[in-house]
Amino acid sequence: MSLALLGLLAVQAASGGVVRGEVHDPRGAPIRGAVVGVPGTTLYTFTDAVGRYRLAPLAAGEIRLRAAAIGYSPASTTVTLADSARADFTLDPSPLELTPLDVVSTKVPHFGESPTSVAQVTEQEIARRAVNTVDEAVDKAAGVQILNGQINIRGSTGYVQGLNSRVLLLVDGVPMNQGDRGGINWDLLPVDQIERVDILKGAGSSLYGSAALGGVVNLTTRDVPSGVHGRLRVTGGAYADPPHPEWAFRNTTGLHDGVDLSGSYGTETAAGRLAIGARHSDGYREQDARDHWQLAAKGRWQASPRTRLDVSGAWAVDQYQVPLTWCSRSECDDRGQIYQPFKVDTSERGARTDSRKGYLSAQLRTVASERFAWQARGSWLRTHFADYRRTANEASVANRFGVEVRAEAHPDAARTVLVGGEGTFSDVVSDIFGTHSQSEFAAYGESEQRIGPGRLTAGARLDYLAVDAGSLTAVVSPRVGATVPLGGGTLRASVGRGFRAPTMAERFVHTVAAGFEVIPNPTLRPETGWSLELGHTTPVLGALRLDAALFWTEARDLIEPSLISADTIQLQNVRRARIAGLDATLLAAPIPDHLTAALAYQYLDTRPVLAFRPRHLVTVAADYVPGGRGGAWGVGADFRYASRPERIELEGFIDPRRVSVRVLDVRASWTIRQVEVRLLIANALNYIYNLVPETLAPVRTISVTAVWSY
Amino acid sequence: MSLRPAAAFVAVLAAAMACDAGLEPEPICARGLIGVCGTIRFSGTIPDSTDNVFVAAYASFPQTCSDLIFNRQPFIPSSVPYADSVTLYSVAVPPAHYEWVLAVWKKLGQLTLSARDTALLRVAGYYRSPADSTLPGAVTVPSGGVADSVDFKVNFDSLRPATDFVTCP
Repeated sequence: MSLALLGLLAVQAASGGVVRGEVHDPRGAPIRGAVVGVPGTTLYTFTDAVGRYRLAPLAAGEIRLRAAAIGYSPASTTVTLADSARADFTLDPSPLELTPLDVVSTKVPHFGESPTSVAQVTEQEIARRAVNTVDEAVDKAAGVQILNGQINIRGSTGYVQGLNSRVLLLVDGVPMNQGDRGGINWDLLPVDQIERVDILKGAGSSLYGSAALGGVVNLTTRDVPSGVHGRLRVTGGAYADPPHPEWAFRNTTGLHDGVDLSGSYGTETAAGRLAIGARHSDGYREQDARDHWQLAAKGRWQASPRTRLDVSGAWAVDQYQVPLTWCSRSECDDRGQIYQPFKVDTSERGARTDSRKGYLSAQLRTVASERFAWQARGSWLRTHFADYRRTANEASVANRFGVEVRAEAHPDAARTVLVGGEGTFSDVVSDIFGTHSQSEFAAYGESEQRIGPGRLTAGARLDYLAVDAGSLTAVVSPRVGATVPLGGGTLRASVGRGFRAPTMAERFVHTVAAGFEVIPNPTLRPETGWSLELGHTTPVLGALRLDAALFWTEARDLIEPSLISADTIQLQNVRRARIAGLDATLLAAPIPDHLTAALAYQYLDTRPVLAFRPRHLVTVAADYVPGGRGGAWGVGADFRYASRPERIELEGFIDPRRVSVRVLDVRASWTIRQVEVRLLIANALNYIYNLVPETLAPVRTISVTAVWSY
Repeated sequence: MSLRPAAAFVAVLAAAMACDAGLEPEPICARGLIGVCGTIRFSGTIPDSTDNVFVAAYASFPQTCSDLIFNRQPFIPSSVPYADSVTLYSVAVPPAHYEWVLAVWKKLGQLTLSARDTALLRVAGYYRSPADSTLPGAVTVPSGGVADSVDFKVNFDSLRPATDFVTCP
């Protein structure tokens, strides 16, 4: 017995002390997802669903701890630690606080302003908006627009049907762009499992490599708390009918419904969660029905006080009909109309797609000391789609395997150094992309140095790319950035190089689309671009906070579809372009704790004029909670305006009809003990519009969502 | 400083931007039209000497070049767009039964509103009978209404002279 006790003491001494505590608001309500850590070290953790945290291992002595959460002012305290200590934090609400915690721009969580713009969509915002898919949540972020599933950050991507993304998607830091097309499967994860979305605006290739040319989106999934927990989410609703009798296309009302169920059990040592869900939608157009099933799991194992293993995975199946393009004159029963936006070309009747996708990832983090930690991860993403159409059936199966090892060092309290290596192998077997593989190997490093009140960041990444085991192409992506306190706010500046390797789909696609033959181009080169940003965030008159940034990107070799003959298209490195603009967000809390509002505006200037880039993008959001933070009910609204794109691809060959976007969403919520009920009327004015040619955007959709949490 | 002006500004901004109808129905036939309307699908190479393309209707099938000029409805027709592969047209003609509705290609040159004009004109295409596509189709413009879906094809590579259809002195 005494030997066992001695052994335990020895383990305790080797592993260090522990600090436990809670983070809550002034009313005592727990704050989940708050980060608690020792600034300038590798030591940090997050609070669980009831606001508790446990931080270990810590050396005995006096320790300064800091806690921060989105929507609250950060707080610090000092504790004297022998073996264990307790430190509780009370964070004051601060709805004007911008990004107190930055993960995505540095790969390691740290406090304070980022040298590049980072937008966040919090768990509360996702819940408040009662959205059903991840892209609907991301689409509400300032300066971001999703065009038919393709994300545009500051005008980066544009739109090419079914191909590519100039934005990198991460799930808990793991890259998840498709191995064949490089696009993003937004339905890979159920929105109910997302805790937070971080959006890095601008080139992020110095840390993240290919695809981070226009930005990075990181989805943070919910951590698995200790204890037994369950969650049930049920949603249902209806689509509005076409607002004009000439466009009527069915006699019944279109409905949608869904259910998500998750359960978890955990201790401080290990925990796991399993989530299942299904959704059905009749769609808002002709031939637009969709069925979705999903399974997601996540586990954590605190192997020792210094080592934590996280494992997660998901599998989703979608079967949907394909409203490829709307019906133009004579392509259906047009009822004397030039076009029928709710109907499809009769020749495409019966078209459908079967899409399956899933991933597995494991991440191991070891804190060797408060000055040094290392992390390793491995991941596998698999995507499979099969299009069944009258004209042709197309299918593709792709894998993306990734490994990464990185080390994080804090030589002193004012300096952070991050170095790492990453490898990615993708393969595809497809009747339109062929059978190919692509490898990417990279090494990167970044250092951050505090200099007085300011902070300087510098880093670079070297990527080698090889297609079908051929010759290597090297790409260097450096970045420098700085933040400096100025005029009561913080000035930030950064300049960096981004790139995107051509996807295998872009190199090897051979198909027929919209009457054009699309032919391969194996000689495509990577797109590159230099991005510069100058931003300032500052409080204004106490009740306002303004964040404004000027951005400028000089892009080369942009890959775009080119018409090389009357009926043949090829993707080519055709364009050099300048994308510049202003991105501004004004937060207001005219009645603190009750009424909050946000106004965001983006001005975009592209030269030459690039397709699918609206010049003006405005979002306005307001929320009112009569009972204050944590009140039983509340109401809110989002309004989004995007000016009519000045140019589209293949203008003259397709119906160029397009209008500006003017969409109003209104919502209300009630909380009754453990049940939240939310009403959302998306596109409340039933504004009929399209984001891409011949594809109608969603009409007014009423949804009622109930969430029960245990 | 009161925040009311700012809130009012945001509300007005949102309301102003919301006041737009978005996509609207677009009938093929012009609103209020009394006449014929439909689509013309173009193919072939547009001749360099093209002046315009117009649509005309005849109550009875013309027999002579003079009929072609003087029995035409409308008497002075307007051009339809012909640069795209397909175009919509709406042509005002009096309510009546028409035996021949056609697209006419006009060469560069001055019309004199006489039978000599046929030298500058070619039959580019005509509405065909749904029952027998080798024959011209008849349409009826009702009183105060339209004859819609009067669609035909134009092939610029096979423009036909008037003498293929009528007798000219």
